[in-house]
Amino acid sequence: MIRIILALAAIAAGTGAASAQIRAPGIVQRMIPGTRQQAAPVAAVDALRADFLARTGGDTIFFGNNVSGLAAPARATLAAQAAWLRQHPDVAVRIEGHGDTGDTRNHALAMGARRAEEVRSYLVLLGVPAGQVTTTSVGKERPGSPRAVTVLVQ
Amino acid sequence: MISASHWKGLLGALLCCATGAQAQQAGSPAVSVVAVPPFSTPDDRQTSAGGTLSIAWEASKLIAQDLRTTSEIMPLPPVEKDYYSYPEVTAPSFPKWRSSNAKFLVTGFIQARSDGRVTFGCYVYDVDRGREVARKGFVVAPSEWQRAAHRCSGLAYTAATGAPGIFDSRITYVAESGVGTGRIERIAIMDSDGSNHRYLTKGEAMVLTPRLSPRASRIAFVSLAGGRPQVRLLETETGADRPLVPNEAISFAPRFSADGSQIAFSMMLGQNSDIYVAGAEGGQARRLTTSPGVDTDASFSPDGTKIAFESDRSGSQQLYVMNSDGSGQRRISFGGAAYAAPDWSPDGEWIAFTRREPGGRRIGIVRADGTGERLLTNGPADEGASWAASSRELIFQRIDGAGNSSLYRVSIDGSEPRSVALPQGASDPDWSGVVE
Repeated sequence: MIRIILALAAIAAGTGAASAQIRAPGIVQRMIPGTRQQAAPVAAVDALRADFLARTGGDTIFFGNNVSGLAAPARATLAAQAAWLRQHPDVAVRIEGHGDTGDTRNHALAMGARRAEEVRSYLVLLGVPAGQVTTTSVGKERPGSPRAVTVLVQ
Repeated sequence: MISASHWKGLLGALLCCATGAQAQQAGSPAVSVVAVPPFSTPDDRQTSAGGTLSIAWEASKLIAQDLRTTSEIMPLPPVEKDYYSYPEVTAPSFPKWRSSNAKFLVTGFIQARSDGRVTFGCYVYDVDRGREVARKGFVVAPSEWQRAAHRCSGLAYTAATGAPGIFDSRITYVAESGVGTGRIERIAIMDSDGSNHRYLTKGEAMVLTPRLSPRASRIAFVSLAGGRPQVRLLETETGADRPLVPNEAISFAPRFSADGSQIAFSMMLGQNSDIYVAGAEGGQARRLTTSPGVDTDASFSPDGTKIAFESDRSGSQQLYVMNSDGSGQRRISFGGAAYAAPDWSPDGEWIAFTRREPGGRRIGIVRADGTGERLLTNGPADEGASWAASSRELIFQRIDGAGNSSLYRVSIDGSEPRSVALPQGASDPDWSGVVE
């Protein structure tokens, strides 16, 4: 699941990655030389993504069934995400909320949105500029546990 | 032979008196046997859709097939030896049909007209009483004879059950194909008998919950094309679509009012989902609920004065009813489980719901005052019931043990749900009113 989202994020990011490339950490810069110019943005976002995952402990926050409140492990992960995002102010992220598969269609969509909004509020509380974080919900349309996934979009 | 004057008089009577006799009021769940002998023609003439005699034969087969899809009618399909001479269409032999236990008889004719169109005559008789109970004439292009046949089926259904016929209505749903990243979701629409199946969106973006306007000219649906779930309005003929409310908020769960003029939907402000109503032609949305939590799945009563909806304000999803201005909100479900996705029946009698408990999700119905709850399916993964125009039947989504999603129809008389044959996986069905 995570792998799929990474791929989508990389494609979506294509145009906006030039500025990110300049600010990217060392691992990115080692990858960039020698790659063709057109391939560079994708590689840069992939590398940014890898760095984000390595330094934050994960892009996915799990929730209990029918719950949108954050558990302690979720807060720890989000604190690390917030720290990373504060260091990368021009990397925008989208929080994708997911509902419970056992739920009904529209309640699941709303629960996904609530989870995404809860994550966004917490990141903003920890000092991430509000404009850096958007939210969406895919309800129960993609299988898996109730969760919110932080996707790098820029 | 029929004289020309006899024929003209008959045709005139048929076309002028389109309403026919009062339909018999149903009430018993007993199955009515309806005989459908082969339709006739006064003169077998060629048309752009074939000879009138062969259209007549196909039309009677289609009518029997329509009636067979209902749980209240058992049709006696046409057999060649019962072929009716034209005069017998309007003067049937009742004793013969009494002996075959038929309660009703549908006869009719197809006649080629000089303008290239055809006249489709449809007659319904009460066999026991030996008299006509309904008749209707349609003048249509030869290629449109199926539509006239569906309406003839509807006439027979109404005569036998007292409820509106559903054969000339549409079903929309989300067609699902592919798995994983190759998964494609498209809005599909078809006639309620499965014919004229087509796709209205191309599958570039995730789509959810298509809902037909009463006459099926529009579909309100949810698209993730812009990144966030948003209610959009689609014209079924042209395929043009636009956002219902042009803002950035997450909006979902649309449903038309029975007259098609308004759309109730849910919109999120932060973590709060509330019910709003907007005009189908645009304009400001009015907010109807304010409670914290998730209020969603609004459904208008047929007279437009009330709205049923779902709220988790009590801690779990439950059914509520309010006035259409948002006042008088009261909970109606107290059955010891979670209740979701209400849909108000076209006759106003029932609210269909999805009951959610640890054992799974099942479809049921309850009266608007919360009494008379009845479960219609056993689950374990059923949801999203939508009423047929007859108020006798629902279409819903079922996910099987292998994770495949498909559509089923279930009658409120308690019979077994029946699978709807479709070219691919399906979810989120919605049934229109009768298209006239």
